[in-house]
Amino acid sequence: MLDDSRPIFLQIAELIENDIVGGVLEEESQVPSTNEFAGFYRINPATAAKGVNRLVDDGILYKKRGIGMFVAAGARSQLLAQRREDFYQEYVQPMTREARKLGISADQLTEMLHRTETTSDVTEGSVSP
Amino acid sequence: MNSAVNVARMQLINKWTFLGIPAVIMVAAFLITLAIWAMIPATGVTVYSGAVQAVMWYFLALGVQSLTLTFPFSQAMSVSRRTFYIGTVGLFAVVALAISVLYYLLGLVEVATNGWGLNGQLYALDWLAGSNPVVQILFYFITMVALFMIGFWFATIYRRWQATGMLISWIAIAVVLIGLAGLTTWQGWWPAVGQWFVAQTPLTVSGWAALFCLVLGGGSYLTLRRAVP
Amino acid sequence: MNSQITPAVELRQVTKTYRDAKALDNVSLRLEGDRIYGLLGRNGAGKTTLMSVLTGQGFQSSGEALIFGQRAYENDDVLSRICFIRESQKYPDDFSAKQAFKSAALFFKNWDQAFAERLVEDFQLPPKRRIKKLSRGQLSAVGVIIGLASRADITFFDEPYLGLDAVARQIFYDRLVEDFAENPRTIILSSHLIDEVANLLEHVVLMDGGRIIMDDDADSIRGTAFTVAGNATSIQSFVAGREVLHRESLGSLASVTVQGRLSEVERAEAAELGLDLAPVSLQQLVVRKTMAATDTAAENDAEVGALK
Repeated sequence: MLDDSRPIFLQIAELIENDIVGGVLEEESQVPSTNEFAGFYRINPATAAKGVNRLVDDGILYKKRGIGMFVAAGARSQLLAQRREDFYQEYVQPMTREARKLGISADQLTEMLHRTETTSDVTEGSVSP
Repeated sequence: MNSAVNVARMQLINKWTFLGIPAVIMVAAFLITLAIWAMIPATGVTVYSGAVQAVMWYFLALGVQSLTLTFPFSQAMSVSRRTFYIGTVGLFAVVALAISVLYYLLGLVEVATNGWGLNGQLYALDWLAGSNPVVQILFYFITMVALFMIGFWFATIYRRWQATGMLISWIAIAVVLIGLAGLTTWQGWWPAVGQWFVAQTPLTVSGWAALFCLVLGGGSYLTLRRAVP
Repeated sequence: MNSQITPAVELRQVTKTYRDAKALDNVSLRLEGDRIYGLLGRNGAGKTTLMSVLTGQGFQSSGEALIFGQRAYENDDVLSRICFIRESQKYPDDFSAKQAFKSAALFFKNWDQAFAERLVEDFQLPPKRRIKKLSRGQLSAVGVIIGLASRADITFFDEPYLGLDAVARQIFYDRLVEDFAENPRTIILSSHLIDEVANLLEHVVLMDGGRIIMDDDADSIRGTAFTVAGNATSIQSFVAGREVLHRESLGSLASVTVQGRLSEVERAEAAELGLDLAPVSLQQLVVRKTMAATDTAAENDAEVGALK
């Protein structure tokens, strides 16, 4: 779950984001407390709080005084939009750059994408755990 | 001060150490003494026993244990050395005082019952019983405190300087004693020394012993101040 | 928490000399309150000495060691706020664990008896057995329970797990995190089982040879080093100009641990060269750092020797 490559608070924030994107945590539903996160992942409570607070700063979570943390309305679409943008920058841009180098036209690229779409059912089933 | 009382309470959590074992030793020493006297054919001569000492030697061992085990534990309990010292020595003083009073009272009983009906002398020693009650109690008290302090101080020395420290202290004591003996012989002071000893009364002996205790007490406190658990 | 003007712990140029060896070598350190600190390092690095000096149980040769701005030595105010159970803690010979806890209840004002009793059950400690008849693990459990249930403002755990099995150690870590979350306080945990405690720590102080060689937040340390493995010549060009912590090779293959973070471009470059990248765990980093420090010290000594 947690690895050594990056700060733990970032990983905690990402785990919560994943749950929101994946629909495990619904909007306006309560998020486990930082102490519960700390206990569950066996991490320092301050680190867990740092991860949660980062999401509060981003407007993904909000605090209800004396009750706890909740997923903000529109958090899911906000995260999706952000991740789509990340996807564009991290995957699509390098891909098109490489395609241009190899002389692959936009049409050919689209055709390739269509081709993966038809075979993806098979690969998805065998690759994902 | 409050935490010094807590140190005393901590020492009493296990009732045996300061109360149970001394009580057992005193009762056992008394009964064994009576048994021995009963076996000696009655000749009308007074029989003596040194059984009152038994518990005092236990206090020497208790002094050692207080320092070697209870002191490191008290450090873990976040007790300062000063507080530990006041609490431990204070508790011991109370116990020693209680036993001293008890010895005095038993001495009265002994005299009243003609030496427990066996013409024995255990508590009301001739040399001591003539003095006033305060002096008698004081004598026992000071002796016990002195033995506890000796145990405590030597354990402190051992704690700080290990076997080397012990060895050096023993050698130093031996050198001083031999030196004094040598000086006395050389100067021909022995008769004077002999007279001095004969002239001592329980009160003066207690006085000297009290002075000795103060030196021991001060010395062990100063050694403890820099001891590491 | 709130920014305290007086740190919970402060050392100013503290040196402790044992005969000819330096257990602490001019150590300065400031630790804020209400955090879990890891005091890491090899045996003999100076961890226990540092804690002894801080708590007034031991004595420094020079420098100043302060707790909440004051010396702890013979200072009842400060002492009443700290708890330091030694790794080789001694107990009165005739005490049972239960009696040790009864003592602790007398001296620690925040002592939680119910918590202590729960821990006794968790660790399956026989409360009435004499301490001197307990196993090494059970003896450690007694210390752990006193440390946790004391709820002292600063609690020092000195290698608290000796003889504890994996299950008992996990119980200790779990209870520590839970209780810390409810009752924030300063915990200083000395350990060489670094992998096990890495995620519990907010801040890491690494000692070696009586000196502090790393003093940083655990999360900022994470990802500050990486290991690259693959063809030796490719690695050579990839790590050029970087601080190498460790180098291993086997024929044409090499594995090099390097200090620093990697950008996305560099990751891509490594992939292009056919090199494998792996993050370095805190434990590995500590090992590498310590060995690097030892090497440097040895080199310095050699230089000094040569000058003589």
